Amino acid sequence: MRLLTIGGVISYRALFNWATPAMFIGTLLVGPVFQLLFFAYLGRQLGVADDGFYIVGNAVLAASALCLFGGSMAVLNERRFGTLGHVLLSPRSRTLTWIGRALPYAGNGLLVAAFTLVMGKLLLGLPIPAGAWPGLAATLASAALACAAFGLVLGAFALRFRDAWLINNTTVTLMVLFSGTNVPRESLPGWMQAAGNFIPVTHAASAARSLVHGASFGSVAPRIGQELLIGAAYAVLAGVLLKVFEAESRRRASLDTL
Amino acid sequence: MRTLRMLWIGTIMQVKMSSRGTFEIATAMIMPIVQATVAVYLLRAADSPHRMIEAAVGAGLMGVWSTVLFGSGGAIQRQRFMGTLEMLMLAPRNPAGTILPITIATGLTGTYAMIATLGWGWLVYGIRPEFAHPWLFLAAVPACVLGLGMFGLLLASTFVLMRNANALCNTLEYPIWLLSGMLVPITVLPAWTGPLADILPTTWGARAVHEATSGGAVWPAIAWCLGISVACFALGALSMTYVERRARTAATLALA
Repeated sequence: MRLLTIGGVISYRALFNWATPAMFIGTLLVGPVFQLLFFAYLGRQLGVADDGFYIVGNAVLAASALCLFGGSMAVLNERRFGTLGHVLLSPRSRTLTWIGRALPYAGNGLLVAAFTLVMGKLLLGLPIPAGAWPGLAATLASAALACAAFGLVLGAFALRFRDAWLINNTTVTLMVLFSGTNVPRESLPGWMQAAGNFIPVTHAASAARSLVHGASFGSVAPRIGQELLIGAAYAVLAGVLLKVFEAESRRRASLDTL
Repeated sequence: MRTLRMLWIGTIMQVKMSSRGTFEIATAMIMPIVQATVAVYLLRAADSPHRMIEAAVGAGLMGVWSTVLFGSGGAIQRQRFMGTLEMLMLAPRNPAGTILPITIATGLTGTYAMIATLGWGWLVYGIRPEFAHPWLFLAAVPACVLGLGMFGLLLASTFVLMRNANALCNTLEYPIWLLSGMLVPITVLPAWTGPLADILPTTWGARAVHEATSGGAVWPAIAWCLGISVACFALGALSMTYVERRARTAATLALA
């Protein structure tokens, strides 16, 4: 438990490039709000969906960039700072070490998503039923956890590929399209809808929208469960990939190669 | 003539350098293509297929701005990292003149985004690149790139004073897309944003390109874009000279 919690927090403080106040506020708080406004005004102009669609969608999406980049930094920066070898030499459970790293990003993602939702509500005037807030908190938390696990998968790729930032940037941008947060899913081709079913955020965004429209928590619980299931699947995949890429990096003597 | 030669050679060299970077090229092409795809599906959902070419052009402009923003914002830091900042500043030329080719080159590299979104739209979605004023489009894009390059100089000179320039870069991407009307028309924004949009060269550059695409008065927009860009260049040159003097006096030129 100590390795999972304290280890995770220490690695967050050491490895997350965006933890400084300027980066945190500029990139993680202000950036997503402007993204929300951009799509909300685009949606207003085109008349595709109402403000609520974009506010809720972008609030859920706000957690993804942080968790994806954070998960990647949790692995990539170890190599950059020359400490990856020390981590991999540790006799402790590798699984606990990496999962512990994802948890602070999930908490942080929840905070950013909640901030974006509140700012969207205040700036564009979205009415949210008081009873929906606990369900929304659970939905945002499930999205943040799933995204953090997905971030670890990207982090695993950072062990193998040099252009990890390119992978991260591309993935975050593709999530805008595939998750249906900014484009109604019914207007996407079938293969994009199918792909969207297997990425984080999609089910959470759908559940959050239903909650804002007055649905009960019980009716959206299956979708939250799907989101958590996807997160668990990505966590397992991350564990496997980290083991495979670690072994390959040792074999090729490329562990610390930048 | 010597100044023009320096700008020309400097720009060509910087374009060649950034054209070798897979990250830069991929970033300049992949992100705008995804943005263009989002715009295409939104327009389809809105049943506005006649505006598809505007979506492709708008997404391309967004890509140009992103490239300029991150390229110019990090220009000085990148020179520091490569150990070439001192050599640039030691050159017996105005410091703004030595940095301007870098920022113009970022704008030129950004045109990959425009090419990518137009090509993607044509190949995948059958959006034919038919412009209301094709020749003016070919004039509007370079004017826009030049304008953004000069605006980039102002950004580069301002950001060099900030330790967290990256944070500002990350923050400025969407607001400029929004305020400049690259994809979302300015008319749907609150009225108070109008004066802010009017002083941005990006607004007039984007307007020139959109007018050339869908029909309208292109030359006034180009003139405004270049006029504001010259003002940005003057401010950027003053700022760059001040920053260079200060860094030399404090012996911090090479320090991040």
